[in-house]
Formats: sequence, structure tokens, C-alpha cells
Amino acid sequence: MIRRESGAPVPAIEVNDLTVAYGEQPVLWDIDLTIRQGVLTAIVGPNGAGKTTLIKAILELVPRAAGRVEVLGRPYRDARGEVAYVPQRGSVDWDFPTSVLDVVLMGTYGRLGWIRRPGRRERREAMQALEKVGMEAFADRQISQLSGGQQQRVFLARALVQEARIHLMDEPFQGVDARTEKAIVEVLRELRARGDTVVCVHHALQTVREYFDEVALLNVRMIAAGPVDEAFTEPNLRLAYGGRVPFLQGVTGFEAPGGGP
Amino acid sequence: MSDGGLFHALLFDYTLRTVALGAGALGAVAGALGCFAVLRRQSLLGDAISHAALPGIGLAFLLTGSRATPVLVLGAALAGWIGTLFVLGIVKHSRIPEDSALGIILSVFFGIGLVILTFVQRRPTAAQAGLETFLFGQAATLMVRDVLLIVGVGAVALLLLALFWKEFKLLTFDREFGVALGFPMVRIDVLLTTLLVVGIVLGLQTVGVVLMSALVVAPAAAARQWTDSLSVMVILAGVLGGIAGVTGALVSATGGGVPTGPTIVLVASAVVVVSLLVAPGRGLVSELVRRFRVRRRVRADVVLSDLYALAAQHGESGEHAHPVAVLRAMHRGQAGTRRSLGVLAERGWAREVEPDRWAITPEGVERARTLFLPGAGEDGAGAQVEDRGVVAPGGEP
Repeated sequence: MIRRESGAPVPAIEVNDLTVAYGEQPVLWDIDLTIRQGVLTAIVGPNGAGKTTLIKAILELVPRAAGRVEVLGRPYRDARGEVAYVPQRGSVDWDFPTSVLDVVLMGTYGRLGWIRRPGRRERREAMQALEKVGMEAFADRQISQLSGGQQQRVFLARALVQEARIHLMDEPFQGVDARTEKAIVEVLRELRARGDTVVCVHHALQTVREYFDEVALLNVRMIAAGPVDEAFTEPNLRLAYGGRVPFLQGVTGFEAPGGGP
Repeated sequence: MSDGGLFHALLFDYTLRTVALGAGALGAVAGALGCFAVLRRQSLLGDAISHAALPGIGLAFLLTGSRATPVLVLGAALAGWIGTLFVLGIVKHSRIPEDSALGIILSVFFGIGLVILTFVQRRPTAAQAGLETFLFGQAATLMVRDVLLIVGVGAVALLLLALFWKEFKLLTFDREFGVALGFPMVRIDVLLTTLLVVGIVLGLQTVGVVLMSALVVAPAAAARQWTDSLSVMVILAGVLGGIAGVTGALVSATGGGVPTGPTIVLVASAVVVVSLLVAPGRGLVSELVRRFRVRRRVRADVVLSDLYALAAQHGESGEHAHPVAVLRAMHRGQAGTRRSLGVLAERGWAREVEPDRWAITPEGVERARTLFLPGAGEDGAGAQVEDRGVVAPGGEP
């Protein structure tokens, strides 16, 4: 764990006064968020809340209108090698003519720098990452032949070979089969066990309590953030989701025994 | 000219050999670079670039008075680049979508180019002769030094493509991931687009501005049908483009003044049509075969489930035979019951106990049970297909 001189651990990600706008419409408004090292954090909120934008703004994929982001106490640009990114599965064309192994190898490109090609060492790492997500048998498969869950696991493997300590994942559980969900959860727990930090944009409220340590409730503004027990409460969810609350019954795990996971 | 004569001429006719070499090299470069344009869904950009290059050719001639190929190519490249920048600028700073921006730039630049060309041709000097061949291309006008230019610049372009292979692949497959990795994707994009511009303007003399984009798109589209590997696709597109170039140039050069561009494009299009039809896996024919097989299997499964249901009615013994007529009735009179029974017999799932009376076998019972279990398809293949159906549509922005 990276600590300050005082001995206090540096936050994995520190977001201050972050505002992002598309045109004149603010998508994120004055966001403050501290993500501790070594925990699994879910970013939760309704559609259009800016969850994906928050991740992309941290990664400097969308321009910030205002605000500061620090990663492990440094500006993101200086800490880029510490951050791995799992984009939404639908963000690429899966009919692209390439193999599973090739996609995973892209995770090593940042380390390789310009022009250098992945070699035997990178291939070995990519195979190990594929084993971790249970996809080693598919290494030579053309990517268009994969199911949605398998695509997601390939993206996860690609992030794993980035050898980062902070992992930003955009909806890794979106539309995947039960087996993939289990595989991803296992990988997340392994990452946490070795002290890594994971931030997931997450949709399924009923699994927040089971999968994550901390939660950030977002709806353009930051509604609440902190340990799941403190922040993932019905009043906060009501604030985040507005009037659309009937479906929230039971998801926070407080209302009734057995209601939550 | 007979085939033998053409072959003879290719070997011994210096001019023809020059022309064929130029057109072949051009096709190879354009085909290879075109793969990235096709995969990035920028086929139309190639068209806009080539049309936008026309005023550059005319202006270069007007300003320098020279019609040396390097001068004209440079003018074409500049104009093509400016056209591309305009397209990107329009998309970025207005609400006009990309296809409209491409259409606007393509037609405006092409119109200006035609005006300049007409103006040039009205001038009473002889030096402008042949400038209009840039419209539809005339490989016969290729000089040795033109061919050397194509080969030289083309080789540099392909070398750069090989050198920055990894970066270009990253750009084409997942640009945002590239940004997150810290690569300056804008610069990589500029480099790749520049290579495309270069590949296109090299071909304007041979193929012409009107049809050049076909030589960029067609070989790549054809090559994609035959392979699932990017490197194989690029090499194959280069080879197909080269073949189209050589064949088209030869037919044109020996066919009494037919413009080269249309000839090359016709050859390239023929390659595309054949590839669309017969390529294994992605071709139309193999798609039809696959559909036919699936339909046959589904029909057989329906009959099998009928047999299973009948067997269930008669207790689990299963050896009770049923007349084909009963199955046909359950099948709602659809044709092919007997053929489906044949398929089942082949697989050992049903057998004809006596003429026209069929029974389900124990293996057939096993199979029928898996049909009713969700997700218990054959070695997971069925489950995969199922899962693909629920791919989420993008989620939120």
C-alpha cells in the first residue's frame, strides 16, 4: 500500500470538484469522491446519472470542465501505468478480424510503448490472464464467435495483463451469464486480496451488498459515498433514483431478512 | 489479342510491362491500406479524399505549369488532406453527421476541380494535354518514372504500416482503450489517414478520382470474407488489389483506349462478388448451407420430441412403434416428416421397427430430454448462441 510520509495511506483515486458537460448539459456536477486503496467500490445510479462519464473523466477520455483527479496521490498522467480499464463490452466491433489472445495482448501495449511487438513473455502473461477468467481454451478463437459473457471475460483478461493496481470497470456484469458473473466476482476478490483497488460501474442493485465493500451513489451529483452499510440506504437510493423507487424494496438488505442477498 | 499474345506482350513489351507493374504496385498498396479504412467504417472517406484531390491536381498544374507526376501528386495529396480536415472539422463543430459531411466535401471539391480542369483545358497551350485522364485514369500514360514513384512511395507507406502495425490495430479496434493506455491516438489517426491519402493520390493517374476509392475498398472487402486474421486480411487485400491492378491495366492497355479505372474496378468488383458468394464461413453459399442444416436439424428435433411424447404416453418402454401418419399429423401436415425420420435414424435416435412404423431409441430419449432442458445444448454451443441474444445495447452514455 502506498502511504504518505505521515504514514496515512494515499487514496487510490481522489476526485475533487469534478464537473463534466456535454454541450451545455452538465453530466457530472461538482463531484467529490475518495476511493480507498484495496477495496471494491461500486458506482451506482440511474440511467444517465453519469456513471460511465465519471470513469471516463478519471481516465481523461472525456474533457473535464472543471475539477482535479489524483491517482495514488499523483496526477493521472503520471500514474497511468497503475490504472487498468475495462470498457463496456458494446464499445467495440466484435466482428473485428482478430483472435482472443490478440485482444488480451493489447493490455501489454502500454508497457511495450511504440513499435515494439508483444513477444513470448507477453504471450505467456496473456495466457495466464485468460486462465484466470477461464478462457484459456478460447485463446485462438476468433472474437466474433464469443458469447457476451465470454467477450466480457476477454476484456477482463486484457485489463489483468496491464499489471495495474487500480482497475476501472464499466458494467462488467452487464448481460453476462451466471458462470461469467461468478468468474468475474472471483477475479475481483483475488484482486482485492492482493491489495488492488477495483471500481465498477454497477447496475444490479441486489448484488451491491454481496459483491462490494463501498458504494458511490451518483445522479449527476454525488448523492452518497462510503461503506455499503452506511451509504447504501433506502433514503439515499430514493435520492439517487428519484420517484422510481418501488423496485428498490428490499435491495438495500435492511428491510427484511432474506430480502437482500 | 489472344491470351497467349497478352502473355507474350507482358513479357516482351516494355511499355505494357511498365504499365502492369505500376498498376499492380498501386493495387497492392491501396488494397493493404484499404483494410483499415474498411474496418474503421471509413470507406466513404476514401471516396471523399479522391474526389477532393481533383482541384489540387488542377491548381498544382496552374501554379507550376508542370505536369510532372510528383508535382500533381503533391497537389492532389494536399487537397485530399484539406478535404479530410474539412470533413473532420464539420463533424466536430456542427451538428451535421459524418456521412453528410463526406457528401458535401466530396461534391464541393469535385465541382471546384471540374471547374479548374475546364479552365485549364481552355488555355491555348499544349502542355495541359492529358490532365483530364485524372478523371477516369489512363494507365497507358504511366511513364517509368511514374511507376518508380508509385513503387517507391508505396513501399514507404507499407513499411510505415508494418512499423506501426500494433498502434494501427489498437486504433482500429479500440481507440479509447488506446487513449487510456497513454498512446496519442489522435496522432496515430493522423498518420494512418495520411497513409490512406497517399495511397489514394498515388492511384489517381492510373485509376482516376472517380473510381479510386473502389480500389481501396473492394480488395479489403473481398479479403475480409476469406479470413479472420488482420494480417492475413491485409496481405490478401494487397494481393487481390495487385491482381486487379495488373489485369485491369492490361485489358485497358490492349483493349483500344478503354479507361483503366473502370476496367480495374470491374476486375476488383468481380473478386468481391465471388468472395461474397463462395468464401467459406462468411460467404452467401456457406450461409445458405448452414441455414439449411439448422432447419433440417430443428425439424428432426421436432419429430424427435413428438416421438418422445408418444413414447411417454405409452410408458417409458419406448420400443412401441408409431405409424408415420401419426407423426405427420402431429407435424401439422408439414412435408419432410419422413426425411426428418431419416436424419434421426442416421444419428441413432429413432429406428424403423417395421415398414412405416417408427420408435424412439434410448439414445433418442436422452437427446429429447436435453432438448427440454434450458442451456443443456450440445457441448455448450447452444448456450453460447443463447447468450449472444442478450448482448446489452450499449447501456448508458
